[in-house]
Amino acid sequence: MATVAVVKATVDDALSFAYEAALPYHKQYAFRKDAWGGDLGVNDRQVVTAQLFKGNQYWFVLGSDVKTAVVSVHLYDEEGKLAETESWQKPNDKKHFSAAGAYIVPKNTGTYFAIVQIHQSPEERTHWALVYGYKDKVKK
Amino acid sequence: MKINFNFNRFSLKCCSLQPATCFLLLFLASLATLLAAPLPEPISTTTPANQTATQQASSPPASLNLAAFPADSVEDVVVPVPSEIFSVLDKLGNPNWKAQLRVNKTHTPEERSQIALLLGSVIAEGFVAVEAEDAERVKDLGRDVLSLAEAVNVRKSVIARSKSIIQKADTRDWRGVRTEFDGARNDVQAAMDEMNDRNLAQLVSLGGWLRGTDVLTSIVDANYTSDGAELLHQPELVRYFKRSINGMSPRLRKNTLVLRIDKVLDQITPIIEEKNHVITREKIQKIHSLTSEIVSLINTTS
Repeated sequence: MATVAVVKATVDDALSFAYEAALPYHKQYAFRKDAWGGDLGVNDRQVVTAQLFKGNQYWFVLGSDVKTAVVSVHLYDEEGKLAETESWQKPNDKKHFSAAGAYIVPKNTGTYFAIVQIHQSPEERTHWALVYGYKDKVKK
Repeated sequence: MKINFNFNRFSLKCCSLQPATCFLLLFLASLATLLAAPLPEPISTTTPANQTATQQASSPPASLNLAAFPADSVEDVVVPVPSEIFSVLDKLGNPNWKAQLRVNKTHTPEERSQIALLLGSVIAEGFVAVEAEDAERVKDLGRDVLSLAEAVNVRKSVIARSKSIIQKADTRDWRGVRTEFDGARNDVQAAMDEMNDRNLAQLVSLGGWLRGTDVLTSIVDANYTSDGAELLHQPELVRYFKRSINGMSPRLRKNTLVLRIDKVLDQITPIIEEKNHVITREKIQKIHSLTSEIVSLINTTS
C-alpha cells in the first residue's frame, strides 16, 4: 500500500469525517480501507496518485476536522488535464466537519492525480484525509 | 422570557401556559435563531448527485503542471484491489471465474518475505473466489489469511476479518466478503507498518498485484479486446513497485524470489508503458506467462 502520509491519530477525526461524507455513495460504491491523510497549511496542495480503470467509476471524498475550513479535491489525468465529471465542496455544512468530493468516469485506463487543497482555514495546519470508492457490483 | 431549548426545563418555566402556546413560542424562537445565524459565504454552487447545499471554493484549473509538486508525493501510488478491475472485466464479457481459481492448498513458507508475497496473493485469490461465488474456497482462503498472518506475527490484526469472511461466505454476502478481504489486507499491512516492517507490507501489495495481473491477463487472452487489453496500462504502478524493491534492505533485494520479481517487472515495464495504449494479444500472453510463473513460485514451498 502506498500512502502520502501514514494516517496517525491526529487525522483520525478527518478520516472518520471523510467516510461519513462518503456515506451517500456507500450503496453503489465500495470504499477502500486505505486512506491518505496529513496536514496542510492554507493554500497548500498535496497529490495522491491513483491507478484508475476505464469502465469503472470512482468517487474521491476528502474530510477535514476543521469545520469552517474550505477544502477541495480535484482529479487530473497523466497529462495534467482536469478529468473529473463533477465535484463539490461543503464547508460548514455540518456542525463538525468540512468535506469535498470529486467524481470521475476515466476516459482511459492509467494514472490519475487527486489534488487536495486547503483554501481557507482558521488553523495554521488543517488535518485532512482522503478516501475513494469504486463502483461496486451490488449482488448477494 | 428566556427560551431554553432543553424541553424539560422549558416545561417547568412555562407550566402556567397552555401546551399549544408553549409549542408556538418554541417554534417562533427556533425560527428566529435560524434566521439570525450567519450563513456560510457562497462562493459558487453546483448540484452534484446525492448532495445538497453544495459550495465550491473556486473553479479548478483546467490543467496543472504536475512537475510542480514534490516528487515524493507524486511517486506514491494507490494500489488498486483486484475487484476494481474484475468488475470492468465482467462488463466486457462473461469471464469464467471458476476456471481462474487456483486449487492448490496453501502451505506456509519459511521465509517472511515469501509469506508476505503469499499473503497478498491469497487475498487476491479471495477476490477471484468471490467472483466465482465459491463459498467453500472463500472460507478456505479466509482461514489461510489467518495462518499466514500468524506466521509473520500479525495474526491479531486479522482474527475478526477472517471470522467475518467465513460468516459472510456462508450467507453469500459477496460484497461483504470483498470488503473484508480489502480490510484484511489493510489491517495486515498496518500491523506490519507498526512493527517497522514496511518492506513486508510492500511485498503484500506486490503479491496481490502479481496474482491479480495473472488473472487479468488470462481473462483478456481468453476473449481479447482492445478495451480489455487497456486494463494492463499501469505504468506508474509498475514503476512504484520497482521503486519499492529498490528501496528495500540489501538483504531483501538479494532474496531469490524478490530478484526474480524485479526481473519480471523489468520485462513488463516496456509493454505496459506503450503510449498508444494498445497492448497486443501476444504481449498479454507474455505478461501472463511471466506473472503466472512468479505466482506459482510464490505458492511453492521448498
